[in-house]
Amino acid sequence: MLAIRFTRISAAAFVALGSAILLGDGPAQAQDVLKVGAPLPLTGPLSPEGLKQKRGYDLWAEAANAKGGIKAGGKTYKVEIIYTDYASNTPRAVQSAERMITEDKVQFLFAPFGSGATKAASAISEKYRIPMLAPSASSQEIFDRGFKYIFSTLTGNETVSEPIAKLVAAKSKNIKRVAVLARNDLFPLAVAQEFEKAVKAQGMEVVTSERYTIGAMDHSAAVTKMRSANPDWVYASGYINDLILIRKQMNDLGLKAQVITMIAGPAYAEFANTVGPLAENITSMSWWHPAVRYKGADVFGSTEAFNAAYAKKYGGEADYIEAGSAACGAILQMAIEKAGTIEPTKVRDAIAATDADTFYGHARFNAGGQINALQPPVFQLVGGKPVLLWPDAIKTGELRLMPK
Amino acid sequence: MRTWLVLFVIVLLLAMLPLVGDNYLLRLATTVCMYAVLAQSWNFIGGLAGYPSFATAAFFGIGAYTSAIMQNYGAPIVLGWGSAGLVAMIFAAFIGGAILHLRGHYFAIASLVLAEMLREIINGMPDFAGGGKGLNLPILPISVTAQAQFFFYAMLGLALVCTATAIVIHRSKLGFSLRCIQQNEDAANILGLNTYAYKTAAFSLSAVFVGFAGAIYASWVSYIEPPDVFDVLISVKPMVMVLLGGLGTIFGPALGALILLAFEEVVWRNFLTLHAAALGLIIVVLILFLPNGVLSLWNDWLPRKKPAR
Repeated sequence: MLAIRFTRISAAAFVALGSAILLGDGPAQAQDVLKVGAPLPLTGPLSPEGLKQKRGYDLWAEAANAKGGIKAGGKTYKVEIIYTDYASNTPRAVQSAERMITEDKVQFLFAPFGSGATKAASAISEKYRIPMLAPSASSQEIFDRGFKYIFSTLTGNETVSEPIAKLVAAKSKNIKRVAVLARNDLFPLAVAQEFEKAVKAQGMEVVTSERYTIGAMDHSAAVTKMRSANPDWVYASGYINDLILIRKQMNDLGLKAQVITMIAGPAYAEFANTVGPLAENITSMSWWHPAVRYKGADVFGSTEAFNAAYAKKYGGEADYIEAGSAACGAILQMAIEKAGTIEPTKVRDAIAATDADTFYGHARFNAGGQINALQPPVFQLVGGKPVLLWPDAIKTGELRLMPK
Repeated sequence: MRTWLVLFVIVLLLAMLPLVGDNYLLRLATTVCMYAVLAQSWNFIGGLAGYPSFATAAFFGIGAYTSAIMQNYGAPIVLGWGSAGLVAMIFAAFIGGAILHLRGHYFAIASLVLAEMLREIINGMPDFAGGGKGLNLPILPISVTAQAQFFFYAMLGLALVCTATAIVIHRSKLGFSLRCIQQNEDAANILGLNTYAYKTAAFSLSAVFVGFAGAIYASWVSYIEPPDVFDVLISVKPMVMVLLGGLGTIFGPALGALILLAFEEVVWRNFLTLHAAALGLIIVVLILFLPNGVLSLWNDWLPRKKPAR
């Protein structure tokens, strides 16, 4: 009996200890620090994407601090990025955003991953009038609500749909039947719908249009249905883990087509590494590519310099999420320097007025906050490496069709 | 009488929270009140009648979507919130009629699929309910602090009504009958108790407040998606909270909600990526050492009082 009493007391002590940790936690206030909050999915199914954003943010913070920090209004600010993990759970991302604004007193926010979580979190940044820059949100639905404090470094979904439809239509008159498989989630669904519009505009026919649930672990029913529709072109949208699985099941079940297009996954090196030879000839779109060449007035200065900084810190090449995340920081820095203050509403106006070249491309935002001066490249994986097909200025090869 | 007094004092103290706390503290408090409602509601069917229901997420999502869809078609917020609880209750009454003849694991699984089923239905209705793209709700045209206080008081009010209902139920014939069902359903049946009607009543009761909570939540976050409001964790967390606080008690569910969410917050702040494991560990420790819930500590240390159940 005494032993039981004792363990209960120790459990109570444990509870007290927990409360002590809560009370002992207070954010340290330092002078002349620019605080940017970044809620990220560091664990859970979206963690690969979350870690990409973190690499981009860290790269920017390091570059900005290495040059002595950000200068505004006679002061120099050291960049500090505050991270939280929202475990791929959107409500928690929203909670993180509010915590960072009210408790950590961040002046600016970087958005969580993806269109859905960005849209949800933007309600908080809008309420508190804190500018939020998003490196991985492209869906129209975020930017047509008249919000003033959300900015995105990705162009709209139509810009990653129309160019490929035109390219394929120009390449072959025999590609008529298109099968679409989309993840039932904000961005993948919206981009697939834009894609359907784009191919219909080229006179093609959408023969099947399937959807799969978030976290689906089997696509065989949809793939079988698509196979029986005998498509010339197979299009799948989702995130990298979904697309790897879909590509493997397409192979297992014998679904073939002259063109296979997937978004957003083949832009990451991990895709080709994981699916190996099955990645061959897959086409995809990306908002940025290391092969583009831009000169800019930002902290990196040029695409080459950004690539070199990335390779030095992480090895390999950056993809559009990593570059876009660093670009969020670079654009924020330019706006702060131009505004001459870190007052969030003034910086917001400076971001909205941005019209400048960066390593990432030309930065200019439309009224909704979406960047509108980028041309997202179309590419095809050949030998595990991307070959650029469009735009013509950076083209490194021609579209290749697959035998049926 | 003493129970009512305790409830009154707790609510009065909580109602003064906006005087001392910032918006984030109010957000946490709103979340605690919301989960207190969820846990208290689960206690009707799970704690009293002993039916392990996983349907909380289904009711929550129904409430959220009912209100969101109605507001998107121009209904005022009051009408949206009001209908949410009623729709959830009617749904529970119908579904309860269909699955409450199952017991134990079979009932648990039948109730578990409800949320999955509803999520797929919503996913399949892109034009009417937004599908996988989710739904927007109007943001209230008042200041940030006023919003935080408004939603806090709304959730607190709901938690108050829900707990008051629990006090009444615990002392009523319905509460007594539900405890009979938990102890021996066949015996209760033989004694002339209409167990089917009582179980359906408990199931409906466990839905109505959750439906209201879902509607308030939807207006609070102003954007809902099927995976967020039909999340299985919305079903599981209330059960853990009730077990943590004290099964079948009146204040156990709310206490469990407070403890679990406080731990979640502490762990989440202090461990960037290991928070899920740390939280799991704490829950295991608590359940191992306090199998009858935290309220049992109180009852142990006050041996002259009889346990509240």
